[in-house]
Amino acid sequence: MKCVPSVIKPAGPLLEARALVKRLGGRLVVDGVDLVCHAGQVLGLLGPNGAGKTTTLRMLYGFLSADAGAIRFEGSDVSRDLNRFKRQLGVCTQEDTFDGDFTVRQNLEVAAGYFRPRPPEVRRRVDELLERFALATYAGDKPEALSGGFRRRLMIARALVHRPRLLFLDEPTTGLDPQARVAVWDLVNGLRAEGLGIVLTTHYMDEAERLSDALTVLAQGKVVAHGTPKSVLGDMLGEHVVVLEADGATMPAVAAWLGTRGLGEPLAVLGVWHLPLSGEQLADFARSFPALRYEVRPPNLDDLFLKLALPCAG
Amino acid sequence: MRGLTAALEWQSRAVVGRHLRVYLKNWHTSFLPPVLEPITLLLAFGLGLGAYMSSGIEWNGRLVGYINFVAPGMLAYATFMTAIFQSLFGAFIRMRYQRTWEGQLTTQIELRHVVWGEILWAGLLTTSYVAIVSLVLSGCQALGVLQLRLEYLPLVIPIVFVAACAFAALGLCFTALVPTIDHMNLPIFLVVLPVGFVSATYFPLGHPVLAAISTANPLYHLAEGLRGLLLGDRAGYHLAGLAGLLAVMLVILVPLDMRLLRKRVLGD
Repeated sequence: MKCVPSVIKPAGPLLEARALVKRLGGRLVVDGVDLVCHAGQVLGLLGPNGAGKTTTLRMLYGFLSADAGAIRFEGSDVSRDLNRFKRQLGVCTQEDTFDGDFTVRQNLEVAAGYFRPRPPEVRRRVDELLERFALATYAGDKPEALSGGFRRRLMIARALVHRPRLLFLDEPTTGLDPQARVAVWDLVNGLRAEGLGIVLTTHYMDEAERLSDALTVLAQGKVVAHGTPKSVLGDMLGEHVVVLEADGATMPAVAAWLGTRGLGEPLAVLGVWHLPLSGEQLADFARSFPALRYEVRPPNLDDLFLKLALPCAG
Repeated sequence: MRGLTAALEWQSRAVVGRHLRVYLKNWHTSFLPPVLEPITLLLAFGLGLGAYMSSGIEWNGRLVGYINFVAPGMLAYATFMTAIFQSLFGAFIRMRYQRTWEGQLTTQIELRHVVWGEILWAGLLTTSYVAIVSLVLSGCQALGVLQLRLEYLPLVIPIVFVAACAFAALGLCFTALVPTIDHMNLPIFLVVLPVGFVSATYFPLGHPVLAAISTANPLYHLAEGLRGLLLGDRAGYHLAGLAGLLAVMLVILVPLDMRLLRKRVLGD
């Protein structure tokens, strides 16, 4: 069996999901989601709380079965041999799910025992991961003794112990300090360079922008945008964002201007309006409000989240 | 059917292997209860309470020493309690607090293997517990305290294993249903203790209503079956009754465990 991930990208996608549907407790949580992840690529799965990210991820890694739709790994329907598919997966869940009865090293060894064919040379692999993830010093400690950043490292290391080809990271840096987040980003970058396909969910927009080669944006269980971070922002928001203080006398006129052009409500944050506009709309805005003071900046994923949180926005 | 045959798949053995590894880490403390419990019980019930019944106790129309009556009952009760408590508290802690199951489920382990792993582990742990208790009973017999047919003790082991698996399947149902660990009092006081009392483990059931109820109690048949083997009386009827009840329990409860735990753990 080939265990070392290949850096040569296969012709087709590593993972492909089509029209995934899932109801939980009678509620439609995932409604026809499509997504694709290639080897050596990070796919960012974004969306506000309740968008269906984690449920989609759980279907992808076999934790939940889909009510409808298909998941393919290298072109083969995974439901035909789920066990074989799961041998190729590494999963780092949002919550720490260490085995508290074991030390850091034993956690990796025990996890290796949950895969067949057995990972070759487990001891060497564990040493290698402890070294790479800077966990060697803590190898004999219980996981609860580790800081948040090192716990995340252990979670990712455990997901890699059997040399998977596809890695799922569900909000891998939530709750970490900036230094620990950057360390996780470096690890993710390194894994991508080795040819792993990585599906990542996150709430941090800078993380998604820095790490993702492609984004799939979910809202209310549906894909609302897909593509590179830049193209998703362009499609969803436009090319520019006008930022202005919302305390001026012209604000009703600005709101009316937005309304007449079908742009909906402004994205308001702490008394500041953020108006995503296309080039033409920006020119129109400048003509309509020549005396208004405002700043123009490129859109980012925070704008996208704000827009998704306000479904009535245009 | 797939749920039942999962007991034989490697993933279920891997889960058992994980539990065994934890147990062996703590073997020095794990060995204490099965050694001390029978000694304490034999002293309290057999020698203490038995002293008030110097002529013995009537069982199946003949008089037997109370300590000899209690010893097989003790094996049955230990089987029941060890399996139930392992599948109630041990499994609940792994599921709810340690999140061990969730970690396992991100690998090639499926929920059906987690369930079978818990059941088989409870069976194995209980069997080892009863084996240690049996050694203590053999020691007591060597000291002249007991008069049991010890040559039948090896037969006790496989019976205990299957019974413990069925009791663990019952315990896992409650694990799947109780919202918090504090609610464990409900199954313990409403089910576990009544089943334990109406079982003829520590005293014969003289009242006709209790005797009638006990015929549907697998622990009663286990206690009487082991007693029949170790004291030399009819064991076939009780062991056949036990086999039937355990088979029904396993066939019904294991798929039920899987369904309830699927909802609880996977939210599906």
